[in-house]
Amino acid sequence: MLVYTARRIAVAIPTLVAASVLVFLMVDVIGDPLADLRSMQPAPDPATIAAAEERLYLDRSIPERYWLWLTGLGGNGDIGILQGQFGPSVRGGNYVIGAELWAGLHVSVRLVSAAVLLALGLAIISGVISAMRQYSKLDYTLTFVGFLALAMPTFWLGALIREGGLWINRTTDSTFFYTIGANSARVDDMTGWQYFLDSSGHLILPTLTLMLTSYASWSRYQRTSMLEVLNSDYVRLARSKGVRYRTVVRRHALRTALIPLVSVTTVAVAGIIDGVVIIETVFQWRGLGYFFIEALTHKDSFAIMAWLMLSGFFVIICTLIADLLYGVLDPRIRYE
Amino acid sequence: MTEHEAEGTHVKNHNHEDVVLDVDDLNVTFSSEDGPLHAVRGVSYQVRRGEALGIVGESGSGKSVTSMAIMGLLPRTAKVTGSARVLGQEVIGLNDAQFSKVRGQRIAMIFQDPLTSLNPVHTIGAQISEAILTHRKVSRAQAREKSVHLLDRVGIPNPEQRVDQYPHELSGGMRQRVVIAIAMANEPDVIIADEPTTALDVTVQAQVLEALEAARQETGAALVLITHDLGVVAGHVDRVAVMYAGRLVEAGTVEDVFYRPRMPYALGLLGSLPRLDGGRDHRLTPITGAPPSLLNLPVGCTFAPRCPMARDVCRTEDPELVEAAVAEGERNEDPVSRHRAACHFSGDLVSATPEDLFGSEAGKAGASAEPTGGAPVPEAGRGPEPEVGEPEPEGREVLLRAEELVKHFPILSKGVLKRRIGEVQAVSGVSLELREHETLALVGESGCGKSTTARLLLNLVRLTSGEVHYMGQPIQDLSDKQMRPLRRDLQLVFQDPFASLDPRMTVSDIIAEPLRIHREANGSAKRRVRELLELVGLNPEHGSRYPHEFSGGQRQRIGVARALSLKPKVLILDEPVSALDVSIQAGVINLLEDLQDELGLSYLFVSHDLSVVRHIADRVAVMYLGKIVETATTEQLFRAPAHPYTQALISAIPLPDPVKERTRERITVTGDIPSPADPPSGCRFRTRCPKFADGLSDAERTLCVEQPPELLDRGAGHEDACHYSQVVELF
Repeated sequence: MLVYTARRIAVAIPTLVAASVLVFLMVDVIGDPLADLRSMQPAPDPATIAAAEERLYLDRSIPERYWLWLTGLGGNGDIGILQGQFGPSVRGGNYVIGAELWAGLHVSVRLVSAAVLLALGLAIISGVISAMRQYSKLDYTLTFVGFLALAMPTFWLGALIREGGLWINRTTDSTFFYTIGANSARVDDMTGWQYFLDSSGHLILPTLTLMLTSYASWSRYQRTSMLEVLNSDYVRLARSKGVRYRTVVRRHALRTALIPLVSVTTVAVAGIIDGVVIIETVFQWRGLGYFFIEALTHKDSFAIMAWLMLSGFFVIICTLIADLLYGVLDPRIRYE
Repeated sequence: MTEHEAEGTHVKNHNHEDVVLDVDDLNVTFSSEDGPLHAVRGVSYQVRRGEALGIVGESGSGKSVTSMAIMGLLPRTAKVTGSARVLGQEVIGLNDAQFSKVRGQRIAMIFQDPLTSLNPVHTIGAQISEAILTHRKVSRAQAREKSVHLLDRVGIPNPEQRVDQYPHELSGGMRQRVVIAIAMANEPDVIIADEPTTALDVTVQAQVLEALEAARQETGAALVLITHDLGVVAGHVDRVAVMYAGRLVEAGTVEDVFYRPRMPYALGLLGSLPRLDGGRDHRLTPITGAPPSLLNLPVGCTFAPRCPMARDVCRTEDPELVEAAVAEGERNEDPVSRHRAACHFSGDLVSATPEDLFGSEAGKAGASAEPTGGAPVPEAGRGPEPEVGEPEPEGREVLLRAEELVKHFPILSKGVLKRRIGEVQAVSGVSLELREHETLALVGESGCGKSTTARLLLNLVRLTSGEVHYMGQPIQDLSDKQMRPLRRDLQLVFQDPFASLDPRMTVSDIIAEPLRIHREANGSAKRRVRELLELVGLNPEHGSRYPHEFSGGQRQRIGVARALSLKPKVLILDEPVSALDVSIQAGVINLLEDLQDELGLSYLFVSHDLSVVRHIADRVAVMYLGKIVETATTEQLFRAPAHPYTQALISAIPLPDPVKERTRERITVTGDIPSPADPPSGCRFRTRCPKFADGLSDAERTLCVEQPPELLDRGAGHEDACHYSQVVELF
């Protein structure tokens, strides 16, 4: 297992480097961050443009800039991912990309982790129940709910849930659900417990939205793999030993049936981080999604790179976790 | 039944102590989209303490479903009625909690496929311990100790180390022993073994059957052995029950059923079996038709549509399983073991042989469930006496010659780099000759390289080195395009009749496809397809149907028709009958023999089944780990095998004859086939060789370890590759 883990980590590092090259090149070729400045009427002073170019390191060659972006060696101290600096923003010196990204991450991680954990838990439970009670009314109901959530586009589902929350608020004449932002406006004079309640209240509807789509597909996966395992010979053999059915399901079926879900989930988590963009827009959160959209509108290339790198980092970490989980769940992989 | 019960009640009570499993009028019905499917109908049998009962039947006869019903392992959709008592306790209708106390404790089960029976994510020790801990209040350490002991009992070497391994680290035979150990864990009263050796090679089968015997002795359990292999039954059980279409049709002691069958189906099964101990030129007598669909059973006796004896009463009245007619003074008074048969006319079978009953049907080469319109396959040729006027095989022209064929498959490392980290030596220097109008059999266990050799001969796989000549012309370097004209002479028939026919093409299209590829699909193609269908014993009107409408045997006939469409000279048959049931297999074997006589074909017959090979082949080459270890005419090879591996292989085949099977002398091998990626040095068989283990001095062994033996002629064309070969007569 130790060798296996070391080998997986060793593979993850070059992947991360490759991802950084791709992110840098692709953002670099899509356009000039100073295009707006250049096309201003009347034309700005060439000295202003030159100063901006120098501040954004646009006067250097591409390989030079990549190296600078990665290491920060030879820069002005505001660049170099390895030093924790993500580069200067087109929006001026007051906008520090790293800090903004960190703030956005802080907001979004709450949403993503709550949604993933909830979706995963529910998917496993309902997948197992569906498989154990195949073709029962319960199975059909869960299947229907799953396909319904799967069929609806996220932005529409989000809008629908928000409207539903607002409607409940209106009819009960209270603020049952929060539909705007990650927290209330005034959080400074709240106690810790109040802050927690406030955050959780804001979380409910967006989490529900984000969760439903993943839950739908994951529960189908879990149902299929569980069915396959329940019909396997080794489950029959375990039962023929005299082990109770429930114990067989827990001890023999669930573990093997989780293996396919591990790979599906970890790949999907990366997708969820992208999906968060839409939901944050619907519920007006200032998280990673907001950060990304703002970066795009301002043609802020270092901010876009920072976001993409973060996303890529998540994908690679998730894949690493998936590989390690495989090793834990399935001894055949460990001995590869 | 009433008569049987009235008479039996007294005796039954008397012996009740003894009966550990009592199945009475068991019925299982599955609901399907096409209506109820009666998988098991009114099955009753009893098993006494320590006794072994064999249940034989072809696929779909309900033999597995019966035992799954007794174990309570059928899905909820199955409707089970009737009674099954284990040590007097009724088990049908128990809930999961109640059943769990019976399963494993009193009645245990062994399944067919050892590769899927064990959970891949738990160690084998954990899986054996689980069985113990479920029923016994012992500590984990004690359970583990018991597991090691059980592994040792079933013949697993180094049980202390093995106990912590995962199933994927063990071979198939080893895994089946682990399953047997699990069954033994709580000393059950009954062990049900469902085709326990079907997925294994013969030499491994012999070892696993031995382990099963050990399990019986250790636990004193009664054994219910379910199998399609009459040979396995003959050697290992006291009584036999024959199942057909969900019913028991005959039951009795092994001697009664094998020597005095009283139901035409049982008689037919025995007649359709190619035997190692019978006359070689003896023509097989297949049972016509195929088993009925369980969705739509015929009225009356379910065997009547296939039975040559059937009369009007058989088509209206289903016969009960009643005491069979026996000769005076042979009457068995024991209610459990007495001879019973479900046939209106079982008395007529008192001195019948399979030939009397089914012999006349052979000409129809019957494969279809409905009358096929009489396929006129000529009966001439292979009669009781050998062919006259043909030159000896040695004098005939050599069609296909292989010289020193070598094929190594690279083993690549996982990951991005795919480094070459080794190679599987699938074929290592095989030379053989196939002559005109001759059947050469290539036999060996799985992984010995026989199928790869067949593909090399057809240039379907590129050789690593060596030469293949077809009619004197080397073909190994020909391109696909250059090969194409030769392909019409060299055709292939595959093992799996379900996978080798495109399900979306009609049978006519399938058979005509080779004609189309060779641009012969003009006006005559349609007529040619009809001829071919008729030739292989199928109704020419059925050409517009799709493969799924045919049974396995019929599909294999379609495969043969396709191979014959271009009038080839050589057919390579890769395990052509091993996927078929016995009664169907005989028909296909007869067809192949007839076609060879009629069309003068040469066959390369690849098979693991020595009984079939002995029946059909003129010459045999035995392969082991990529090398030919012995080659001779069929007569020589079976009468006097010289290589220890051939001897072991022949010994391992169970004979469908209870007396011979129990008294014959055996040469057994130990262990599993080594990996072809790392074959032993010197003689590749030495790691399993009984002679190397017991019969040789240390000095003699050195030669086996250091020097690979060459294939040498020991006279009369009988070649073997053993330094110390010695002919042994096994029959």
